[in-house]
Amino acid sequence: MIDEIGAALVIGVLTGSVYSMVALGIVLVYRASRVFNFAQTEFGTTGLFAAFVAVELWGWHYAFGVLFGLAAAVAMGLATERLIIRPLRDSSRVTLLVGTAGVALAAIGIQFWQNNAQPIRQMPRMIEGVAGEPFGTPVTHQQVITLLVLLAVAVGLALFFRSPTGLAVQAAQQEATASELVGISVRRVSMLTWGIAAFLGGLAGVLSGPNLTFTAGFLTFGAGAALLQGFMAAVLAGMRSMPGAVLGGLVVGVVEQLGSLTLFDGVDGSRALFLFLFLLGVLLLRPQGVFVREKATV
Amino acid sequence: MSTTLRRKPGKRGHAASEASTVEPRDADGADDTKALPAVAAAENGWFRPSAGGWFARAAAWVLLLWLILAVPANVLSPFDFGVSDINLAIAAVIFAIIGLSLNVLIGYAGQLSLGHQAFVGIGAFASAYVVTNLGLGFWFGVVVAAGFGAVQALALGAVSLRVTGLYFALVSLAYGTFAENSLFAVSEITGGEGGKPADRPAGFAEDQMYYFLCLAFLVLVLWLDWRLTRSKGGRALQALRENPRVAASYGIDVRRYTLLAFVVSGTFAGIGGALMAHHQQIIVPGIFDFQLALIFVVMTVVGGLRNRIGVVIGSAFFAGLGEGGGSEGGGFLERTIGLPAEFTGIVIGPFLLLIVITLLPGGIGQLIGPVKDWMLGKRFDRNAGKLKEVEVSDVRA
Repeated sequence: MIDEIGAALVIGVLTGSVYSMVALGIVLVYRASRVFNFAQTEFGTTGLFAAFVAVELWGWHYAFGVLFGLAAAVAMGLATERLIIRPLRDSSRVTLLVGTAGVALAAIGIQFWQNNAQPIRQMPRMIEGVAGEPFGTPVTHQQVITLLVLLAVAVGLALFFRSPTGLAVQAAQQEATASELVGISVRRVSMLTWGIAAFLGGLAGVLSGPNLTFTAGFLTFGAGAALLQGFMAAVLAGMRSMPGAVLGGLVVGVVEQLGSLTLFDGVDGSRALFLFLFLLGVLLLRPQGVFVREKATV
Repeated sequence: MSTTLRRKPGKRGHAASEASTVEPRDADGADDTKALPAVAAAENGWFRPSAGGWFARAAAWVLLLWLILAVPANVLSPFDFGVSDINLAIAAVIFAIIGLSLNVLIGYAGQLSLGHQAFVGIGAFASAYVVTNLGLGFWFGVVVAAGFGAVQALALGAVSLRVTGLYFALVSLAYGTFAENSLFAVSEITGGEGGKPADRPAGFAEDQMYYFLCLAFLVLVLWLDWRLTRSKGGRALQALRENPRVAASYGIDVRRYTLLAFVVSGTFAGIGGALMAHHQQIIVPGIFDFQLALIFVVMTVVGGLRNRIGVVIGSAFFAGLGEGGGSEGGGFLERTIGLPAEFTGIVIGPFLLLIVITLLPGGIGQLIGPVKDWMLGKRFDRNAGKLKEVEVSDVRA
């Protein structure tokens, strides 16, 4: 039992690091555009497919393949901002949300189409093999790398938001008109934010993809689904706190993993049930978020 | 009759404009022009089409009815309506019912549901269970499906009273995922991977007859939806979608009417689910996934929120895309960009959606507004059906 809980904690934190990356992107986009970005995980799947094509089909070096995947994700993020979000900035939020869902559906459709010959793919890992077996569960090098990258990203973002550009981004997100008056281009900030968010989504994709086989829509509803979990982590962060998003992702990962204890073997889909109850509990008891200091203004 | 009643207070401009804000998108959409309601109403009241105009309108109606009723039955029609075509038509009608169900939630109540596949799936399996396991009739199955749909929607509606706006959308998303993984995994109810048989009722086992049965249900749902918007409840929903606090201060019971919207939506979705189960005859749980929920939302928004006809057309269109109905145009795409016919729907559909929401905020409903008004005996007005104000509060947030 102790071993099992320990294993759930370890696996939860490791899968949670992917959720954290997704949640960071969701929080960034929400702060910039006030939209729940349902395409966030599709940036990841698209990046994963691009990396896969570069590495496996074109025979590129792995590092270049990953870079190509990230570039594809960023390009998709910028295109979404330019073609969908900006023209719709004055529409209602439901229209914006449907717009991002449309981007996700379009990406999934293209993936299904282009991947028709062999629907299930396997991306090679950065380093094959098992790093260790805490509590009897094998942990791959890939998973450890994912967690380390998350920590690096968190530190990097913290430093970035203290730099002049980062401060400008924060200012534009808090008070668009006033920052325009002091010479910050809100449009450019919006592009920058979407670019960073798509980069984070792409990272989540290329890092989590190799752990499993992947299909179209891998991160949205496939084997590595992280969209709902990412949103839950963002909710825990009150949709605005970046450290909260990182912490929230790890917590959601652990909560979800608790559903796979043998104790709940009799319950079908216990992980989804746990997530649903957890989200319901958080939103009913602390709708302003858990890992956030002040009251959120949604 | 109700339209004549509403024109009476036209002498007092205030009352008239109030009435028009309550129902901006009903049949007489042209007479709620903000500034001059009385004059606009009078103008419409005086307009009578010429004899040729009447004839053209009657011809258009006959053509429409012929398309809906005669062509699928292969009566008086030069086309050969095959098995796949009639299945497409049935799917279109069922999707239209589901679209109307979602329209009640998003359009009337301002609550975005991303878990509508659960609403539909619960209805589907309830009806299949009643018919296959309990051995009771199809008609009873539909009633049970509608009941189950209503009850689970009521439960989710209770949550929506506390958790509003985009957060509720997340709750519904989690609910859909939960239903997909937990509820639909109970193999006693859903029959597991292999699915659950759901026989069609006696006399409607043939595809053609089943199509007319679904069409009858669509008419019933359309009628209920129309009565809802014309009732006190519909006007209350409109008011509380705009601003729940102001609505409450006018004595509207926010709680009661939000729950009413959920119950109505759940009922429609349950009916749609039951029809879907008996259409496919073996219903598998695997189809009720998140992608389906996204397509439901997409087709409703593309159709045009709060626009019955637009929603029906939008839903039917996406049902066609999903069922490979693009195969006629698919040959062209396959030659030019190498897009096989079976992928036309999932690739082209989302791009159509993006084009529609960026260029046509009112969706298909806006596109067909002029034709609809003309067919109802009004002057052809190119601007009919356009959104009259920027709608900032589609979702309470």
